[in-house]
Amino acid sequence: MPRSLKLSLDGEEFSVQLKKIDREDLYGSVEIEAFDEKGNPAQLLVLASDGKTLLNKGGTALATVDQKGNSIERPSLKAVNLEGEEIEMVESSFSAPNKLKVADIDDYLSQVVKSIYVLDPDEGGDLKFLLDHLSSGLIYSFPFSYRGGTEYDNAFIIGNKDDAFMVIGKQARFQFAKLNQAARLDSLEEEEVSGDDIDFDLL
Amino acid sequence: MAINISNPKHRDAVVAFEAVGPIRNVQFVDPKGNPVETRRLLKTDIEHDLDALMKKRKTLAAVAKALIKEDPEIDMNEFGMYLTDTSKVYVSKKGIIHLVDEVEVVTNPDGSLRERRTRKKEAQNINTDIPLRWTGKFIKKEEAAHRFVFTHKRQLIHVNGLTFDFLYDMAKELHERNSFLIVRGGEKGDRPIVMHRGGLQYNAFLEGRIKGDEYLLILQLSNIELKRPALSEPPASGGGQKDSKRSAKKK
Repeated sequence: MPRSLKLSLDGEEFSVQLKKIDREDLYGSVEIEAFDEKGNPAQLLVLASDGKTLLNKGGTALATVDQKGNSIERPSLKAVNLEGEEIEMVESSFSAPNKLKVADIDDYLSQVVKSIYVLDPDEGGDLKFLLDHLSSGLIYSFPFSYRGGTEYDNAFIIGNKDDAFMVIGKQARFQFAKLNQAARLDSLEEEEVSGDDIDFDLL
Repeated sequence: MAINISNPKHRDAVVAFEAVGPIRNVQFVDPKGNPVETRRLLKTDIEHDLDALMKKRKTLAAVAKALIKEDPEIDMNEFGMYLTDTSKVYVSKKGIIHLVDEVEVVTNPDGSLRERRTRKKEAQNINTDIPLRWTGKFIKKEEAAHRFVFTHKRQLIHVNGLTFDFLYDMAKELHERNSFLIVRGGEKGDRPIVMHRGGLQYNAFLEGRIKGDEYLLILQLSNIELKRPALSEPPASGGGQKDSKRSAKKK
């Protein structure tokens, strides 16, 4: 049974279920099959820098090491903020109602997106109240953590004509550019277009 | 990276094109408060994986016995070494190969086969002799936000005083219009954006913001619309979840 996420909007509480969506769900997927010149199947492997060690998927592991290169057990690590102060762990957003606040569209567009969910009502419920609010084009946000952890992500609730979605992301590291901050390098007809004119089936 | 892009007057310039990551406010330290880092290690190679062990010992029972007795799955000299400068190679039964025929197997969202075709690796089109075109096609920010998900972002930054004005003016126009510009590549200006050879294709939208004498010009990249997958219908009103089709789908 999927977990229910409680949302609170204008004093009204309701539960939703999250269904993750990705590109493959909408457009299908492409897999690559490879063959050598005699038609024998080939597989993509990782070659280590010694030029002879070949690794398959799962052949690598991540380790946390200190400045001397000694391995450190993850449970002994402390999470700190940029000032070096220990931070409090945050709880899973499934453990309490999440209050929705109206979000700025530029904030939404400034997110590095991690995941997208379509929202469904809990059994016996409906999302009419939420969809009515979203139909005016408003976007809502709240801090979100799936399992709890060191910090929240940003969750944005946004609608299209028919459904409500939750887009999870983190604020992107944009910086407004000034004249003295140059980077180094290694008349058409104007028209308003509709989103219908853009092809997303890029397979 | 660099990007060659034209403005509304068809003037083009090569400017910097930088990936934008998320802001990180949390870091991890060891018990003494010293910073730590994450390294990638060699865990096992193909000479020691289950397939290799089975070739020598034929049965899983024999492999299990050997694991207890001899540790044949471990190379004490190699395993645990840091992995840097790795590369990807194709390997067939002849060993590493350089001539490869690649076939794309395209499947529909329900897992059924749509097409098999020879793989064509599209060249990158963001920094070529043909600049990305100022198409003059705008879409309101609000509409774009409610139709597409912008999964990747790149920031365009000037490389000298001339290109500051060039980019500032573009950002200003987009800011005042409160719109995204649809950006296309290729000779006819009708192709999605490809950032490296054989890479994913993206629909690209240029967003501009200004704040006094400063500008922010973002290439918003999208390859997914904000819509419910056809195989994931909502539960009937007042009813429970009905998602059996999707759960059986091959991803």
